[in-house]
This record gives sequence, C-alpha cells and structure tokens, in this order.
Amino acid sequence: MAEIALSPPLSAFAALARHGRHGRAEGPAGVVVEELRGLALATVIARKGRAADLAAACRASFGVEPASTPRRTAKDGLAVVWSGPGQWLAVAEKGHPLTAGGADGLADALRGALAGLASVTDQSDARGALRLSGPRVRDALAKGLALDLHPRAFRPGDAASTWCALIDVQLWQVDAAPTYDLLVARGFAGSFWHWLEASAAEFGLEVR
Amino acid sequence: MTRSETPSPLPFRLPAGGLIDRSTEIRFSFDGRSYAGHPGDTLASALLANGVRLVGRSFKYHRPRGLLSAGPEEPNGLVELRAGARREPNTRATVAELYDGLEATSQNRWPSLRFDLMSLNQLAAPILSAGFYYKTFMWPAALWEKLYEPMIRRAAGLGRAAEAPDPDRYEKATAHCDVLVVGGGPAGLAAALAAARTGARVILADEDFRLGGRLLAEAQTIDGRPALEWAALAEAELEAAPEVRIFRRTTVFGAYDHGAYGAVERVNDHVATPPAYEPRQRLWRFVAERCVLAAGAIERPLVFPGNDRPGVMLAGAVRTYAHRYGVAAGREAVVFSTGDDALRTARELAAGGVTVAAWVDARREPPDALREAVQELGAPFYPDGAITAVHGRTSIQAVDIRTPLFQTTLECDLVAMSGGWSPTLHLTSHLGGRPVWDEALGAYRPGAPPPGMSVAGAAAGGMTLRECLATGGRLGLEAARAAGFEGTDAPPPVAWPESAAAATLWRGPTGKGKAFVDFQNDVTDADLELAEREGYRSVEHAKRYTTLGMATDQGKTSGVNAVGILAGLRGQGMAETGTTTFRPPYTPVSFGAMGGHHRGKEFRPTRRTAAHAWAAEQGASFVESGVWLRAEWFTRPGETDWMQSCAREVATVRGAVGICDVSTLGKIDIQGPDAAALLDRLYTGTFSTLPVGRARYGLMLREDGFVFDDGTTARLGAEHYLMTTTTANAGKVMQHIEFALQWLWPELDAQAVSVTEQWAQFAVAGPRSRELLARVVAEDVSNEAVPFMAALPVTLPGGVRGRLFRISFSGELAYEIGAPSSYGEALARALMEAGRDLGVAPYGLEALNVMRIEKGHVAGGELNGQTTARDLGLQKMVSTKKDFIGRVMAQRPALVAPDRPALVGWKSADPSVRVSAGAHFLDVGAAASMENDLGYVTAAAWSAHAGGWIGLGLMKHGPERIGETVRAWDAVRGRDTPVTLCAPCFYDPQGERLRG
Amino acid sequence: MRITCPHCGERGNEEFAYLGDATVRRPDDAGAARPGAPEFERWMDYVYLRDNPAGRHRELWQHVHGCRAWLVVTRDISTHAIFSVEDARAAALARPSLVARDAAS
Ligand SMILES: [Zn+2]
Repeated sequence: MAEIALSPPLSAFAALARHGRHGRAEGPAGVVVEELRGLALATVIARKGRAADLAAACRASFGVEPASTPRRTAKDGLAVVWSGPGQWLAVAEKGHPLTAGGADGLADALRGALAGLASVTDQSDARGALRLSGPRVRDALAKGLALDLHPRAFRPGDAASTWCALIDVQLWQVDAAPTYDLLVARGFAGSFWHWLEASAAEFGLEVR
Repeated sequence: MTRSETPSPLPFRLPAGGLIDRSTEIRFSFDGRSYAGHPGDTLASALLANGVRLVGRSFKYHRPRGLLSAGPEEPNGLVELRAGARREPNTRATVAELYDGLEATSQNRWPSLRFDLMSLNQLAAPILSAGFYYKTFMWPAALWEKLYEPMIRRAAGLGRAAEAPDPDRYEKATAHCDVLVVGGGPAGLAAALAAARTGARVILADEDFRLGGRLLAEAQTIDGRPALEWAALAEAELEAAPEVRIFRRTTVFGAYDHGAYGAVERVNDHVATPPAYEPRQRLWRFVAERCVLAAGAIERPLVFPGNDRPGVMLAGAVRTYAHRYGVAAGREAVVFSTGDDALRTARELAAGGVTVAAWVDARREPPDALREAVQELGAPFYPDGAITAVHGRTSIQAVDIRTPLFQTTLECDLVAMSGGWSPTLHLTSHLGGRPVWDEALGAYRPGAPPPGMSVAGAAAGGMTLRECLATGGRLGLEAARAAGFEGTDAPPPVAWPESAAAATLWRGPTGKGKAFVDFQNDVTDADLELAEREGYRSVEHAKRYTTLGMATDQGKTSGVNAVGILAGLRGQGMAETGTTTFRPPYTPVSFGAMGGHHRGKEFRPTRRTAAHAWAAEQGASFVESGVWLRAEWFTRPGETDWMQSCAREVATVRGAVGICDVSTLGKIDIQGPDAAALLDRLYTGTFSTLPVGRARYGLMLREDGFVFDDGTTARLGAEHYLMTTTTANAGKVMQHIEFALQWLWPELDAQAVSVTEQWAQFAVAGPRSRELLARVVAEDVSNEAVPFMAALPVTLPGGVRGRLFRISFSGELAYEIGAPSSYGEALARALMEAGRDLGVAPYGLEALNVMRIEKGHVAGGELNGQTTARDLGLQKMVSTKKDFIGRVMAQRPALVAPDRPALVGWKSADPSVRVSAGAHFLDVGAAASMENDLGYVTAAAWSAHAGGWIGLGLMKHGPERIGETVRAWDAVRGRDTPVTLCAPCFYDPQGERLRG
Repeated sequence: MRITCPHCGERGNEEFAYLGDATVRRPDDAGAARPGAPEFERWMDYVYLRDNPAGRHRELWQHVHGCRAWLVVTRDISTHAIFSVEDARAAALARPSLVARDAAS
C-alpha cells in the first residue's frame, strides 16, 4: 500500500477565523484579530531553589531574563512570559532559528540550556494564539475579561493569567496601540472564538 | 412618528414646560388602545397625559390601581412591556422610556382592567388577611396541589413571561474606576465633578435616561441660574473629561465585597428592537476603589383609608409629572402632607393651572410661612388634619377631610401626599450595614456603609439642594484623595436655602376603607395590627407573616411606614423597633442580563478535541463529557439505532481494529528529581520502581480513604513521568498535585504541568492494531520491541514526534498513540488510511463502555466517590509499605467492613430483558425495602460476546455469592429481572489477547 | 469578594478555588496510625475536625484561574475583611518540621 503521510498541522483557530469583516460593517473596524500561527511554546518550571540560576542561565544562553513578576521579556523573537511563581512560558515566534527543525526545537534548546535548573515541557500545540488590536479592543475584551486593561493599570510588557468568558487565558500587552496577544487552551478555541465574535460585533470585527 | 396632522392637545398635558420634545409625536399602545406621547416621556407620564389613571390591579384584592410614583419605587404601575418573544412582565411604567410603537399591557386583571372579576377577592378580604397563605392552605395538604395553588396562580400572579426564546442579545462586562458615583442628581454630579477634576478615573451611573435627578423635577436655581443649566454644564464637563465614563440608564443594583458593584445598563430598552449587534441590556461589574452613593431619597406615602385609589399619588411625583413631563396628574388637587416639601408641588400645580383645593397638614402647628405660602395659592389650609376617606373606585371623586374642629367632603380628582422622604440607602445595607433611625430627620440614615463607600446628599439625609451640592462635592474629592489623587477644595455652588422641615405620621385616623401600607403586596395597617396581635413582634417576622416588603419593589415605599406602625402598636420608638436590611438587587434584574453571552449552546464553554471535525465527518454523535464533546458512536448508512452502531463498533474492535479518540483523558507531565517520590505519595501503588519506558495502572485515593481517580502513568525518563487521569477528574487531579507540591510537601523537587491539550491521543485496539501501527510508526512495533505496558517515543510520518503506549482498556491487543495536537486530525486520518484494508473503523464511548464492562474495568459508575479500593477489588494495588494520600483513613473500620457493597459482575438470565444502571439488587422473593437492599447496578451493557445483558454492580457480600441468582429491581422503569452473579470479567479473563 | 494574589494582584473571587482550613497540618506518621492508636486520632482530627471561628481565620485558596498558586488567606469570615494573602508554598516551607514540633510538645 501507499506510504502513509500526515496532512499539514492545523492551528487552533484554523477552522474558525474567517478572514474579512464581521459584525457592524460601517466605519473602521473597532477590533482587529489575527491568529498567531506557528508559535513555539514551552513551559519552564524552576527546580527547587534554582530560580535565580535559571534566570542567569536563560540570560546567558538566550539573552532574555525571565521576570519574577507578571511580565513578558523578549529578545529577537524569543519571549519569556511569567505565568506563575517559578514558572514561565517561553514563546518563540514563527520562523525563529530554534524552531528550524520543528516547534519542539524550542523545548529542546531550553532543556539543553537549563539542564538541572528547570523542567521544560513542549506546549506548542496546546494553545491557540490571537493578536488583538483596534480602537475598541479594550471594550470588547471587557465583556469577558475582568482585568483592568486601562493604560494606568496594564502596560506594554505586562502579562496576566486570568479567566475570560469562563475560559482560562494568558495574555500580554504587546504595544501601546494597544495590541494584546492572548493564548487559550486549544480545545476551548471554538467557544472562545464565538464569544469574541459576539463581543466585538457591535464595534465591527476584522479578521486578518 | 406621526407629524401628518397637528396633534390635538392631550387632555392632561400642560400647555407649556417639561423636558419633552413637543414637536414630535410618537404613538404607543396600552391594552390595545393607541395613544400619543412625546420623546422624553415615560410610559407613565404619557398615560397620565392621556388621562389614563387606571393602570393595573393589585396583587391580592385586584383593586384598581393608578400610578403612585414617578420613579423606580413604583409599586402599582407594573405592565407587560412589548409583545411576543420580547414581552417583559412586571415592568415599571414610571421608568419605561417611551418610544414610537411601544406596546404595553396591564397585568393581573381578567377579563379586562376596568372590569375585573377577580376583584371579588375584595369581598373575601377577611379571609385574605395577614398570614392567609399560612392559615388557609395548611390543611388538608392534598387540596394544595389540586385547588389552592391553581386558584392562586390564576387569581394572583403578576405578568406573563414570554413563551418564546428572547431574540435579543445580552452581555456582561467589567469596568474599573477609582471613584464610582451612584446617582446623577445634584449630589452625584457634584461628586463626579470633584473627583474628575483630580484626574481620577470616575464612573458616574444613573438609572434615568437623563442626568439631573431631582433637578429635572424641580424649579430650582444654582449659582443664580436655573438648576438645569448647572446640570448641563456639569454633564458637559464630565463628558469632556478623558477619565470619566457616564453610564445612563444604568442601575447600580448591588454592593458586594471589596469594592465590587453590580449594575445593569438598559442599552436598548428604549427602542422597539435593538440595533444589529447591540445588546438589549448589559450587566456590569464595576470595580471601584471608592464609591460615593448619591442615590437620593424616596418619598413615603401616607397611610389613610382609600390611599390606594387611582389619583392618590406621592406629592414629589405629582410635581415631577408637572415639571419634567408637562403633565397635570389631575385638575383639582388636595395636598396631604406632614412636611413643607410638598409646597413645591402645590406651587408647581398652581403654575400649571391646576386648582389646589386644600392643603391638609398632619402637623398640629405647621410653620406660619408655609400656611401663608399655601394661602397665597388660594388654597384652604387645614392643620392637624387628615384624609379619612377617598370617594370613587377607579378614580377619585372626593375626599373626606377631618380636623379636630370640623369635617368636610371636598371634590377633587388628585391627592398629592407626602409622608416625608426616606434616604435611598439600600446599597449601604447590602453587606450587612444596618440603617440608623434619626428622630430629627424623621427617617433612617445609612448606618456604617461598606468599606470604601461614602454617602452624599439626600441618600445621607441631607434633603436640601444646598446639602446635596456641598456633601457631593466634598465626598467626591475625599474619595479621589483616598484613591491616591490630589485636588483642591472648592466652595460648593450656591443654592437658596429651603425648608425640609417635616414630621412623621405613620398612620392617619382610621375611617371607611382599607389603608394600605404595601401597595404591591396589598398589606394594610390592619394586617400589621393582626401580625402584632398574633405575636409576630420582630419586624423581620411581621414582614414575612404579612408579606410586607416582599414584592418586586422590596417595600421601597412601605418599609419605613410599617416599622412606624409596628412601633406605634407597641408604644415604643423606631430605634427599638428596628428596621429591615436590604439585599441586592435594588431593582429587578432580568435573567437575560445575568446570563449574558452564556446561554443556549454557549451556556458554558465546550471543549473539542483536535480531531473533532474528523469525528463529525465519520458520523459521530457527540455527548458532553464534562465540558468536552466526545463521540458516543458513529452512525453508518443503514444504521437506525445507536445500539446497532455500537454493536458494530465492538465487533470491529474485537474482530479487526478500531480507533477511539482518547485525547480528553487528563495528561500531566511530571518531572524533577523527586517526581518518583511524589507519585509514590499520590498513588496507592509504587511508581518509583517502574522502569523507564514502561507504564503502570495507578489508583489515587482522597485523604479520607475513598477512591479519587485512576489512570495509567508512564515513566518517560529517570526523572520524567506522564500521568493520565480520567476525563472528568483531569482538573481536580491537577489541583491535587499542585496542593501536594505547594502545601503538603514543598520540600519535594518535582514539577507538574498539564499537557492534556498538547497531545492528541488515539486508542488503536483490536487484533490487527499492530499491523496498522506498523504502517504509521517508523519504529519496530513488534511484541518484543513494544511489549504490554511499554511506553516509548515514536516517529510519525514526516518525522513528527509521537508517543506510543501499549495499554488496553478493551481487552484486545491495543495501543494508544499520541501526536502533537496540531497533527491530531492528521493522525486520525492517517490511522484510517493505514487501516482501510484491515477493516478499521472509529468507535465511540458506548462501544468503549461495552468493552470495559466485558473486561470488568472500573469507570465513572464505580469511581463514584463512595467506593474504596477494597470495594472495587483493587486492594492488591494498595501498598502497605509507604505513606500515600488516603492510606490512614482507608483503614477505618467502616471502610473495611465485610458487608460493604463490593464489585461483582452479573448477567441477565433472559437476554431479551434489559437491565439498566441504578437497578437495585434484591434476593429472590424479598420485598423491595431498604432493609432488603443488597446494592445496585453500576454499569450495564448488551454484550454480543456474552449473548445478553451484562454488567457490574456493587453488592453486599457480592464476591462471596458468585453463581447465585438475585434480582435487579428497577422501580423507575418498572422492571424486575433475575440476574446471575459472576466474577467481574466476561472476556478473556487470562488477558491472553491483550498480551498477544 | 476580591482577593489580592501576592503574585498576580487583585482579582475577583471567581478566579479562586476554596479548600478550607489552613491551620491543620497533615501528620507524617502514616505507618503508625492504625485504628485505635493515638496517632490515628490525630489523623482523624486532620481530616475531619475543623474550627469554625466567627472571625479571623486562615484558609487555603488556590488561584486556579490565574497563576495556580495555592494561597493562605487570612480573613474575617463574618465580615469578609481580608487581612493577608500569602503564598502557601512559602508559608509551608516556613513551618517548623513535624519532628521539631513533636519534640517541643
Ligand atoms: Zn495568582
């Protein structure tokens, strides 16, 4: 019989994000959303008492110092997002050299650099990732997110793990536009998307 | 909107004035009749302008009722708003903003508002007195269901809920601020301005569609100009302030712990149909550092005979209708008051051309200035007086006035009554704060408000405009300062002094007719007397006994009067008599708003596996398993019944090979030097001895000794394990591990993280499963390379890294194969492709269940939180050599008692008779009683292999009675079936197939 | 209620899971704790016996929809006033060892 092949990987929102304009059609879109595909993700949890060594090793190997508060630090397409005490999510952008051999290359690299300092787990397929922006993005997010995203309270680089429309999410602010990146467990992508579409509809939603 | 002809003036619309747009006429209907109104009207003001006085029937006696108030406190004017699927019952006409095409229907009447047969209840009034429900319907109980309840439901009841799903959308949202100002009247505006000028983030919320509060309803001046000009300037300044958000049509209905407030914004209740994509209502959670409550005050009615007749209204409401809406509530008015405030009503009426026929003042010695002012209006002034009767049924014809000197009957069609004003302090009481009686004020003041809240203006008892502006400004600034902002004190705007002098009168002299205290629940002063006489002395008891204050208006106009009356009956003061506290919501909140986005299919989030679309293509029927959607079975063409599909799937697995998506099982990645030690403490068995590359079945107990969860855990490396949990307990087990690592044994150096979503995993089961896998996996999958319970990394087509576990739930040669979730759908398709010539088919939960029952594996029915390892026949998995969670408590005598129901298999003697889970085991010939109950069926399935209905159960001494016949008694389904007990394994008991 | 997670900041109580009393301590003598033995009574107390003070209490919560840290929340359970929120792991590491405690008592 013929050689068995795997069809290409599917991102979490691949079947949901219909490109184009949704909801209110007049005027500029209030909310712009784009799925971030091809991110490599890995959970990094410090071994007992090794958080400081881990930070130093991370800086030495990748030029990124993991924050000890809910912040995202990044360099050259590799970010480390605080996600709990002694715990971070490493995020490599699509096309990052570490992921040349596949998304799990990130976890491999971290495992190598942080041996004995951290437990590293590949999570590249565990999340769906969205980049959200637009003049009404805060108003739309407020319909599910109880977090205060006012510029006085949440700034570029700030990160949070929280609950949005009954779904666990992790998000961080990318820039002051404002732009936010938001991760949701892959299995909840459908419910999250339905909520997002409904919540952004009155402002006009553009899916890129 | 109609502008085709010059609208004929409405009979009760004043020739000028009011905050309505007289140039535009809008049409609305009430009880099917069409009326005209103007933008700016409420339904109530428009009805009054048209001369409609009768708006509803009362709850118990079906007495004709008119509008009492002009605000949210309205007890009488409840209508069904809109029609069809958008019909909303019990809507207060006084706050329903008029729009073109508004449809309203009176409620609680039959067959019509004017002629209501149920008003015969009035004749039965003696038996409908306080405690009527408790006394009349207690006995005989059988009549309750058949007679009383249907009767009450028809007779009483409020409006009708819509029978079709609400087509509109609702939302929930959160907003944060430094200072929340509740109320947009003079105090609230002043507070918001003061706070906003410091740069603080301010939310100003007001329930009305227009800011201004009482300033909309009064002729007042501020800084020498009409007060509304000041309000407009304030509003403009707030609108322009970048950190201020104004929420109109927004009721802050509840105060919650630590600065959280609930509010409902009526985004589109003022239009017939919300614009596309916009919600009808939005439920807000405001999170505020500080809150200034500036909710104003509510006027109290006076309790006198006939005080509920249409045309008896609150004096403040009468002037609201006149000043704000340009509506005369009548043509000849009698004012009945305990204070000076109603003078403004008299003046407003006189200015509008309404005759003030008399001023009846309950005080023995009212101020001379007041008397002179009233007499200037041409009205007789009766001190120490009272209204003792109201003539007329559906409208007023005349009133009887009595003073110590004389008695007279005066023709009129409107009574404007004022019993003083009660601060709207509800929000100060939601967290348990008790209002405090202020004798000088003649009202309850807020007690200690919740932390972070201050109270300004009339809500604090400062009833004059001067006080409202001064306290609002001061407290707004203080709130901003407390939230970390700086500002300078500024003098308050100037308002003229005014008299708020008032006395209290809890009930007038008795006379002919009922004197109502609670209009909405039809509670009279006589009912309170009765409650007192029967010993319901505490306010809380009297309230429940009479139902006073328990209607949808929560006694906004009746609560204080009731305490006053009770105090009088007992000859004690208000402070000693007490008060009731308030609970959220301040005014009713619709379920739609409470649910927001989460209704219907979005009621709660659902979770889909990576191969969901593939399963759907294959004809899957999905079932909710926790929040996951899982395939129950896959329907093939020609299959008409799920049992057919299930039987085919079982046959496929037993005979060839089947694929089942098991991605929903919880997967937890555990690493670190102490990973093995951790697992030894979590599981009853030992995992530190598990070789790398092998998996082992594990059982977890709760600390109380009962079984918590089970699953297979594999050792991927010396310091690396992958635990699997049941689908249902995945989240709980993760929390359990985090608890163990962070709180119980923080000294352990182990790290755990969920990878449930990272891996898509499929069971590949059946005699041809190895053959299939050999075509998909690059590595050698022979029995030697991958023996039973092996766990290893594998290479999938294209070099994708996968995982292979040789484990079996079905009893067949079986594997679970995992791929990163992005490849989940691809892997499912590849497995199907690779197995096409082997007869592969997907199988669902039902087939899985049949096969696990045939093998006697425990699952949800047996892992029900009430079973021990011993009950399940798993005692041999419980180590006695180490500490683990649940070890000690599992030794308790009751948990090891020999007569505890234990796991047993059973088979129906008659293959044609179905047995269902839940049936009870009884001995043959035994009566179905608790004493004879032996246990119950936990799982049942049709087994082609066994040729009949088989299953598992928990039964007292079950394992000792194997071979005996007992009954499976199922009262729910009316079945009583003989079953033969057997060992809980029906298929390949030696496990030859799965090791082959 | 709003709880200030020492890691994440102030969040609504819907993000937290409640477990209960943080003042009880799991014994470590499972081997000796057989029914009838005094050690067993201590286990019974640990699993079942709880004070219910109308006032200040130490409780275990988890920031389950956030950073997933277990927390020790000290609060007045009649007024809901929160006095402190500590990281449970740090609090656990600061506990005296059971051996030391037994020796002292
Ligand atoms: Zn946290």
